[in-house]
Amino acid sequence: MLVLMPVLMGGSAIAMYLLRGQVDTTDKRVVVLDRSGVVADMLLKAVEERNKASVYDKETGKKIQPAYILDVVEPDEKDPQAQRLQLSDRIRVGDLHAFLEIGQNVLYPKGEQSTFRIKYHAKNAAMDNVRNWLNNTINPYLRKVRLVDSGLEESKANEIMTWLQVEAMGLLSVDDETGEIQEARRTSEEEAIFVPIVVFFLMFMMVMMGAMPLLQSTMEEKTQRIAEVLLGSLKPHEFMAGKVLGGLAVSLTGALVYVIGGVFFLGRLGLNDIIPYHVIPWFFAFLVLEIVMVGSWLAALGSTCNDPKDAQNLTFPAMFPVFFPMFVFMPVLMEPTSGFATWLSFFPPFTPMLMLIRKAAPAGIPAWQPWVGLVGVILFTALAIWAGGRIFRVGILMQGGAPKLSNMIKWTIRG
Amino acid sequence: MNVVEIDNITKTFGRVRAVDDLSLNVPEGSIYGFIGPNGSGKTTTLRMIMNIFYPDSGKIRIFGEKMHGATSDRIGYLPEERGMYKKMKVRDLLRFYGELKSGRRVNKEVDYWLDRLDLSDWADKKIETLSKGMGQKVQFISTVVSHPELIILDEPFTGLDPVNVEAIKNAVLELRSQGATVIFSTHDMNVAEKMCDFIFMIFKGKKVLDGTLVSIQDKYGSDTLRVRTEGGISKLQNLDGVDKITDFGQLQELRIAQENDHQKILSEIMSRTRVYSFDMAKPTLYDIFLRIAGPEAKEETDA
Repeated sequence: MLVLMPVLMGGSAIAMYLLRGQVDTTDKRVVVLDRSGVVADMLLKAVEERNKASVYDKETGKKIQPAYILDVVEPDEKDPQAQRLQLSDRIRVGDLHAFLEIGQNVLYPKGEQSTFRIKYHAKNAAMDNVRNWLNNTINPYLRKVRLVDSGLEESKANEIMTWLQVEAMGLLSVDDETGEIQEARRTSEEEAIFVPIVVFFLMFMMVMMGAMPLLQSTMEEKTQRIAEVLLGSLKPHEFMAGKVLGGLAVSLTGALVYVIGGVFFLGRLGLNDIIPYHVIPWFFAFLVLEIVMVGSWLAALGSTCNDPKDAQNLTFPAMFPVFFPMFVFMPVLMEPTSGFATWLSFFPPFTPMLMLIRKAAPAGIPAWQPWVGLVGVILFTALAIWAGGRIFRVGILMQGGAPKLSNMIKWTIRG
Repeated sequence: MNVVEIDNITKTFGRVRAVDDLSLNVPEGSIYGFIGPNGSGKTTTLRMIMNIFYPDSGKIRIFGEKMHGATSDRIGYLPEERGMYKKMKVRDLLRFYGELKSGRRVNKEVDYWLDRLDLSDWADKKIETLSKGMGQKVQFISTVVSHPELIILDEPFTGLDPVNVEAIKNAVLELRSQGATVIFSTHDMNVAEKMCDFIFMIFKGKKVLDGTLVSIQDKYGSDTLRVRTEGGISKLQNLDGVDKITDFGQLQELRIAQENDHQKILSEIMSRTRVYSFDMAKPTLYDIFLRIAGPEAKEETDA
């Protein structure tokens, strides 16, 4: 389980990463109908350069990208629809990849809109790399032509068209040993979200591993009458506490293995900078509380079930404190200091997961917030243990009847 | 000394009064049989003794004191429904249950009991592979493996073949001889008659019998006439002073109505047919049980 769980959960992400270089290298033939008369020649030159530079790996000679083949065709002005249909049919039978229609007024868009549209027809035009390439090739060219037409020299126009990327950089720091100022490190979007996502999913995984089985196991111990045997030796709250502590031990063992392994692995790769040492104590504190809180709740719910179907029906409500943060984690990660993220992270059932992701986010949060969240979770966990224990005490010996919220409230109040 | 002292306990579930103002004392070293029809309150009473259910009113004292955590460690409890982890091996399960109770290693005791109940070959098999009878024996071992001073067995003989019934009976008697006090519930009146020092019967939540077999039988007197005749049941119809006739084929049991003369009835039978044998007997526990809880009692209640 300790190995299988992250393999399954991280598998898709790893697969996407590994498969990102897997490209369909079949050549893409595109027919160009240029009504403007100014784009086709440029495209032919550009595609030749592109094919020369990108299709084959320079070192291995292996084909790594498809070649784009452009066929410039005279537009049929008498019956344009028939020509479009005929090209569409060629695409359907696989003879063509796409066809491109360039409006006559694309250089100076004015008049009727249909005269300055650029239309790309393909089976999957919306998600097509050829369309992206055409977009990024035609537009800069048209802008440059307009600048030159307005009297600028071509070299000047090239300067004006130069695009500079705003680079994402980290913060400068002082080396503890030498006292020298350390240069800021370049960061990427992927790296910024890597740590919060890993921490968040590790917490999710540990809850699934340690707390989730309590629902099923409690139901089984009840229906197989093991509970009554054990209650001959233990008090109900001891029984429940034993189950929750067992789940906690499983989760902590798993978490320790992953955290120690992760720190060691990243250290070996020379990526010490991205290890969030300041988040690790918070991770363990919130993990302990989350498992105890959710575990108590799940054990209590399991004690009200009389068959696997009952347990199945209760799975979603039981796991809501874990599932809900999954639904909102992206908005919280992108804007960790927004009102939405802040207030939601103070709601105790969601605090462990959402406060953690906010704490791990590069933007950071005020130092007092995790502490306040921690106090809230401690109080709520105490409440969950108390209520869960009272429900468990009655439910574990109660046979027959589906679990009902009204019964659980009654048992919580009356004991 | 009484190991269990129950003082006027009552337990209700919703509108149902499962146990009603029950008092009972179980002396140390005795075998106490709980009998009663299904749903009469036996299991609820046993669960209250085990502190699994709390009485609504009344008190229960175990070993002279109110039940607390450490007290349950001195009690072995076999519930009515057997509860075992199906995926565990027999030996592991017995160690787990035994160590849970006693807080010490019980390897020797496990081996002894497995051998004693002829289960040594199954020690390393999973529980799910056992037959029902074997499972029952394993559950019994789990109850006694920690050497409890008080053993509570809720219907320990249900589902067992005669050989295994005998094995469990002998084991219970052995435990008693070693000083343990045993309470068990049963529907088998023969077992209760033969094994129990005291018999307690609960019916509709109320105590209806409590005492030794002799004292209970004395209460009903020698009101049973057993006869073996040439004419059989057909010659025994419409006898004055007979409440009930139970026909066993070759033998008939006649329950004599109160204040009627046995001799007169026997003379009447002899005038009708040849009598091969007869004797006066006390009612069996089975008969007493039926008198209290059988259809006949229901008819009387309804009337």
